[in-house]
Amino acid sequence: MNMLGRAEFGVSTFYAASHPNDKCGPNGLPLTPNSIKVLGRFQYLTTIEHPWLCRYIDIAKSKHERMLVVTEYYKTTLQSQLESGKYSRYHSHCLSVIDGLSYLHSKGITHHNLSTDNILLQTDTDIKLAEYGMYYMTDWGADVNFPIGLPQYMAPEIVCSGPVEIDDETEDSLQPEIGPKVDTWSLGIILLELILKRQLWRDISLPEVLQKLLNLINSEMSPLDFLANEEGFSDQLKTLSKDLLDLLRFCLTLAPSRRPTAEELKKHTIFREERQRMTPHKNGFTMCTMKLRCKDLELPSYDDEIYDPDHLSQRGMAEVYYLWQLAGGELEAVLKKAGMVKTQPPVNLLPCCGIPDGDMFGQERDKAELLDRTVVILPQEQLRNRLKDIEERAYYPLLEDEYADNSQLPTSPSSCDLTMTASLPLVIREKDVEYQFHRIILYERLLRAYPYKRPNIWKEARVDIPPLNRAHVWAALLEVEGDIENIYSSIDKETPIPTDRQIEVDIPRCHQYHELLSSPTAHAKFKRLLKAWVVSNPQYVYWQGLDSLCAPFLALNFNHEGHSFCSSLLPIACLSRFIPKYLNKFFLKDNSPIIQEYLAVFAHLIAFHDPELSNHLDGIGFIPDLYAIPWFLTMYAHVFPMHKILHLWDTLLLGNSSFPLCIGVAILYQLRDRLLSFGFNECILLFSDMPEIDIEKCVQDSIKIFCSTPKSATYRQHACKPRKQKNDDRPNVSYYSRDYNEQPQNDLSMEPIAIEELKAEKCPRISAEDMIELGEFLGAPLSRSPTKKRANSKPMIIIVDVRSADEFRKGMVQGSINIPFMTAFSPEGELCPCPAVTTLNSRRSQVIVVVGNRGRNASNFANELVRLNYSRVCVLHRGIDILKTTGLLTVAPADI
Amino acid sequence: MAGRGGAQRPNGATQGKICQFKLVLLGESAVGKSSLVLRFVKGQFHEYQESTIGAAFLTQTVCLDDTTVKFEIWDTAGQERYHSLAPMYYRGAQAAIVVYDITSQDTFGRAKTWVKELQRQASPNIVIALAGNKADLANKRMVEYEEAQAYAEENSLLFMETSAKTAMNVNDIFLAIAKKLPKSDAGNANQQRQQGVRLNNEQTQPSESGCCK
Repeated sequence: MNMLGRAEFGVSTFYAASHPNDKCGPNGLPLTPNSIKVLGRFQYLTTIEHPWLCRYIDIAKSKHERMLVVTEYYKTTLQSQLESGKYSRYHSHCLSVIDGLSYLHSKGITHHNLSTDNILLQTDTDIKLAEYGMYYMTDWGADVNFPIGLPQYMAPEIVCSGPVEIDDETEDSLQPEIGPKVDTWSLGIILLELILKRQLWRDISLPEVLQKLLNLINSEMSPLDFLANEEGFSDQLKTLSKDLLDLLRFCLTLAPSRRPTAEELKKHTIFREERQRMTPHKNGFTMCTMKLRCKDLELPSYDDEIYDPDHLSQRGMAEVYYLWQLAGGELEAVLKKAGMVKTQPPVNLLPCCGIPDGDMFGQERDKAELLDRTVVILPQEQLRNRLKDIEERAYYPLLEDEYADNSQLPTSPSSCDLTMTASLPLVIREKDVEYQFHRIILYERLLRAYPYKRPNIWKEARVDIPPLNRAHVWAALLEVEGDIENIYSSIDKETPIPTDRQIEVDIPRCHQYHELLSSPTAHAKFKRLLKAWVVSNPQYVYWQGLDSLCAPFLALNFNHEGHSFCSSLLPIACLSRFIPKYLNKFFLKDNSPIIQEYLAVFAHLIAFHDPELSNHLDGIGFIPDLYAIPWFLTMYAHVFPMHKILHLWDTLLLGNSSFPLCIGVAILYQLRDRLLSFGFNECILLFSDMPEIDIEKCVQDSIKIFCSTPKSATYRQHACKPRKQKNDDRPNVSYYSRDYNEQPQNDLSMEPIAIEELKAEKCPRISAEDMIELGEFLGAPLSRSPTKKRANSKPMIIIVDVRSADEFRKGMVQGSINIPFMTAFSPEGELCPCPAVTTLNSRRSQVIVVVGNRGRNASNFANELVRLNYSRVCVLHRGIDILKTTGLLTVAPADI
Repeated sequence: MAGRGGAQRPNGATQGKICQFKLVLLGESAVGKSSLVLRFVKGQFHEYQESTIGAAFLTQTVCLDDTTVKFEIWDTAGQERYHSLAPMYYRGAQAAIVVYDITSQDTFGRAKTWVKELQRQASPNIVIALAGNKADLANKRMVEYEEAQAYAEENSLLFMETSAKTAMNVNDIFLAIAKKLPKSDAGNANQQRQQGVRLNNEQTQPSESGCCK
């Protein structure tokens, strides 16, 4: 994490070049707007973290292709120092610049824009390079209409090479032969200026600068001598040390091939002493890494003298900026206030005349399209005011204490407010700066202690997940761990595979309303991600829908990627944990048994919770096969927009593999009234275009549904098999996270059921062990089933024995009622009244467990109950026989 | 709105008979099946139409002389893997539009396979139309009009080049199908309704392999 320290946030703005209106790409689709391209490329810059580089924090797209870029910023520039005339540190600064440049080059970024006014001074001794990402994010200048870099500092080859060109087919720039060595030239000029304590070619016009550059190129003299001659500083040069002179000549080499790279310059003898004093820089927090965390551990020294009461400055930059926005900060407003958003009435931009051919004349160039290099500082007062009442210790919460007391929120003067906030709707909580402040700090600390603090993360995630931490929290919930970097870097994501065509046509259609996901950068990442998954899972194939499934992970890890350099690997790591957990075997080439079983269990679940709806949908032939495949195959990622998926998955990830089924039932709940009044066509039309769903309500309903479903009722033979318990420190805190399939099997457990049987039955079956537990036949509850105990200790189930009265008398479960199937129903299909039926009707809120013999009587009886709109009906798997070994069967008292 | 131009919609006073037909769209993925339906039914076009998983269902009514024809349109997933789902949708269909992309020869080949399958396995009287979509990209054309037309004649298919983007021939192809469909025996809406249920019953029949079958 890069701490805020004394940094300011600076916002600057520029226009991306707009495409002509009617231009289309080769696929007939409109060209990607340049602003979107910049937006995509920018994301990489947020991962750049180095002591001599300003961090890129955020980018936003505004109207008319205007981009707003937020960076770390300091007011003092090298140029202002130079002008003040008290400058002498060029030696160490120069090495810092070289070190920063060499880091950039190693990351594939060419600065191309280096000048004395974007070398900022953090302190007297430390410099920070700014604006180094402009050339990179604009695709080497191709996406903007202005040149990047000041001509005074431009390397000769830039002037020679002309503007970048774009390949219309691929929308990529044909990158000209301009390498990172242009920065070495700029460095040479800057160093010269620092030595001379004045600017070269200062007050002359642009054409004159270019003319002088051309003269320099054509001159017989070496560039340094030419400049000395031109500017009259030959005498001063003579006073310089041999090493310094050598360095200057070295940098100002005309031919790029002979000019040194930044890395080579670092080794120059002049820096021998400084080099030894430099400490290697460490990168920030990494979630999954094989490096020892304690390796570079430095305990902060709590010296009274350096005690800093500004605790906010100890927080990460991305975090403070996020809070700044929550506290009402708006980039556009800041720019407007500074007079940076100049708009011309459109009429002023009209051409003077046009001819029938469509050519336009006399169109003035909009000056606003040129680059304005002003950086406006974001005022932090508003944020600091909002946070001023927060106690110091809230910045450093002690995690251990929370085990003791139950309240999950840290205490602060306003803690009662916070507890109140915690009960407000999610959308409000996510906008509350103080609440998010506490949550973010808490999660940040927990994540640092991952995987040791995994139980706490589970616990907190049940309350909510702050959007800023979501990417890492999800990874933690999915139990991503190990050396993901090594595993995934070894996967071949480039070699063409047969699935490529399908992947390529699907990606440009997947969640394209999402600004980031529609950028070419995202498309490229998307393709690598899907290919990596396909290649590393040879047992599976690419089914359409896998793209939708990946999208949330990709979108999430795009943002705030800067937290850790390995997070570009998090999407694939998350996906590789998500699919086995929730979609086990769904991506097999022949997935029909898996999907069929899943849909059959879903149908049972609908009947179990809402027999009326189930009867209606069955009656009109509106079976889950017709509408629910995209729901489950993509875990709802295909049917909801991104912001809803994120909230839905926040809870889905806490649930087990059966939880998504409950979400499906919850969706039907919300649409219940409409579905009940609709016929087949209207129903299917309703789902062809998913109607508006209240996700927060849906999530709450699904939890309720889950908790009132016996665990074995959602048993699926194809669900994920138990993981090997490699260590016992896995948390067992989440009440709805455990999977039925993860429990040890015994004689009383559920067994695989043939798909034909599943489909013929309307109700779920439950296992004997579930029945025993729910009926509390063994006394103390084992808490194996998620079904919560009620306060009054009435049994949760009523057992209906459908065998003949004779058999019932010979051995029955205590408390069960007997309604023999043969005589149960009248010719009209109603239940014949008898005392047992009266009992049944009086206990309709309970789970009805139908128990029979080996035959089909029990399930037929249960089907009839569903037809009669009895809810929560299930059948005991393997009937009365299974109970014989348990000793639960007793002989009925005579004559009742 | 251009998309609605050609299709006459019922003006409330429906004196004539009402016919209901099940129509299925088949073809390689990303050839524009969903876009054709969306253009026909809602008059809209989305540049980045999401891929279809499983199938989607929409209805649209057109008027033909004194008959109101109601199309129940099943728009299927294009990916080869979803192939095994297709019979569920084309079974009992009275009409099918097999779509290919004129800028890709592969999709035309795939369209031919679909036609063969329909001729072999769908109801014998099914009306099949061949649509060469993305006609707006004529400069990228890889499938010649004549080639497709010759193939269509050989197999007695309706044929048009269409563009969901510009709405070219979209309503026309549906109208042409409506004209060709027999109106006498298929007029009973109730009988049509049974199709939905039957499709359900046939679910339970065993089938070789693939998704959801």
